[in-house]
Amino acid sequence: MAELLIVDNITKTFGGIVAVHNLSFSIQEGETLGFIGPNGAGKSTVVNVLSGYLEADSGKVEMNGVNITKMKPYQRVHIGLARTYQIPRPFPELTALTSVAASALCGKKRINQSFEDALVEATHYLEFVGLFSKRNILARDLTFYELRMLELARALATTPKLLFIDEVMAGLNPPEANNAVKLIARAKEEFGVTVFWIEHVMAVLMEAADRIIAINYGEKIADGTPDEVVNNEAVIEAYLGRGWKTYA
Amino acid sequence: MVDIELKRDRLTIRFKTQKWEWMIEPRYWRNSILWVALLLVFPAVSYFVSPGLINTMISANLLAAIAIPMSLMTLGTGRVNFGPNFYVGVGGYAAALLSIAYGWGPVATLPFAILTTLFAALIFSPLVIVARGLYYVLLSLLLPFVFFEVTVIYTDIFKGDTGLFGIKPLMDLGNAKINFLVLAYLSIFIMISYLLIVNKIIKSRYGLIMATINDDEEVAHGIGVNINKVKIISFVFAACLIGIVGWFYAHYFSSFSGQTYLTFTFMLKIFLAMMIGGRTQIFGCVVGGYFVAFLEMFLIRTMGPMQAFVFPIILIIFLFILPEGLFGIYRKRRYREYFPTIHVRR
Repeated sequence: MAELLIVDNITKTFGGIVAVHNLSFSIQEGETLGFIGPNGAGKSTVVNVLSGYLEADSGKVEMNGVNITKMKPYQRVHIGLARTYQIPRPFPELTALTSVAASALCGKKRINQSFEDALVEATHYLEFVGLFSKRNILARDLTFYELRMLELARALATTPKLLFIDEVMAGLNPPEANNAVKLIARAKEEFGVTVFWIEHVMAVLMEAADRIIAINYGEKIADGTPDEVVNNEAVIEAYLGRGWKTYA
Repeated sequence: MVDIELKRDRLTIRFKTQKWEWMIEPRYWRNSILWVALLLVFPAVSYFVSPGLINTMISANLLAAIAIPMSLMTLGTGRVNFGPNFYVGVGGYAAALLSIAYGWGPVATLPFAILTTLFAALIFSPLVIVARGLYYVLLSLLLPFVFFEVTVIYTDIFKGDTGLFGIKPLMDLGNAKINFLVLAYLSIFIMISYLLIVNKIIKSRYGLIMATINDDEEVAHGIGVNINKVKIISFVFAACLIGIVGWFYAHYFSSFSGQTYLTFTFMLKIFLAMMIGGRTQIFGCVVGGYFVAFLEMFLIRTMGPMQAFVFPIILIIFLFILPEGLFGIYRKRRYREYFPTIHVRR
């Protein structure tokens, strides 16, 4: 597998607080990479740096050999990066269909794409996440689960190569969470996306992830297969705790 | 026998084997011909009934013609600009100064008025990127007042205290009444063109992109929208449209004064036309423009000097009673629009 994204020694500080410190890792094409760490470890900061919302103080981010460290978020979307948010952030005044159509229009450039093409394409993504029947409902009127699915549809509509998923399970009940996991697996299969998945629910990552990276205080403490990481002493000490399997 | 039947949403007329149906339910009034026809007939009727109304109608059209691009600016930048009259001032002063200095007519001054507004808008366009919320409101609010101060300080150029006179009139057909009639049609033409242009933009892909910026700028950035580009283009384009109205004012009255256009009163009228019409709904702007202009005329005629006090109070009461505006009464029937509509973030 080729390396899709290479993160080289990135550091991000907020005043005196070091959120991410000399973090390096790479994401292989086609894999699902889990990203874990205790609260405040810097997981979301890493996603914000990688998606361009925050600028790294130092270090380099490369995607497919292109240096994207200084690129703006919209430029990163054009080269195939998409993200979902920890707390869903819909366009409240737009319908589900138009929200996704906007993504299809503005995401990766398509040749001769008309507004109508984008609407048709948006319909496809809405069908994929199971929101077709809600297509004409304003985003602000959707339920929490539907908002999560809308976020996923919106991210997929930009036709990403690499999808950042930020705690998709938070706030979902077990059947909904189960659906979400299946959907992400299907998205990976059907659209060929590589997934970078921040998650607190270890059972999900154990099942879905090919590889897991654990961080603490902005520094990498483990990198390996799920089994290797959950048995790593540093990870157990910093994040999982001794009896984590009982609660996972 | 002609049989007329009125149902909930339609009027059906039957004559022998023929049947005609007319949708009266507002959502089917897609075809705006009726409304445009009404606008076109109104000045002609006023010409014979009460010529004074033509003047009010021109004011209403021009208010709407400022409020419509304002709506576009609000949508495209995701911010409410509190100084739209600044661009009326820039366009108007450019036309007035050129006309007085070189004796140019309206056709010659129009491109320069547009260019000057374009230039001014480009200079101040970074505001839509760097400032947001209260800061943007304050900065945009300051612009017309600062410009007014400039016209007073450099009174030898701008005649800030008395206003500029001697601008070539927009047209001179020899008869004042006919002049007014033709100008009324010209103002309708400007207003309807703005309505068509802005409506076309809003219903296109660009309108959708602007709606994403209006809803959540950061997320719009995250789905691949070059927000700075969209914001600057919509800001500058809308400012130019407003500048053309300034040009119209200058040549219409043959005089131009900062005291009239750069002060709070005029700004308030623009805002109320926008808000009372229907919270930045572009069709609402026309309703709002007419409502504000005719209410003002009615109050001037009935209350005299008291109107300056009563006028804003009535309008503020309206804002409370109809938070969605006059157009909102109609909008309620079709709450879920297929295409994005403009909403001011509260």
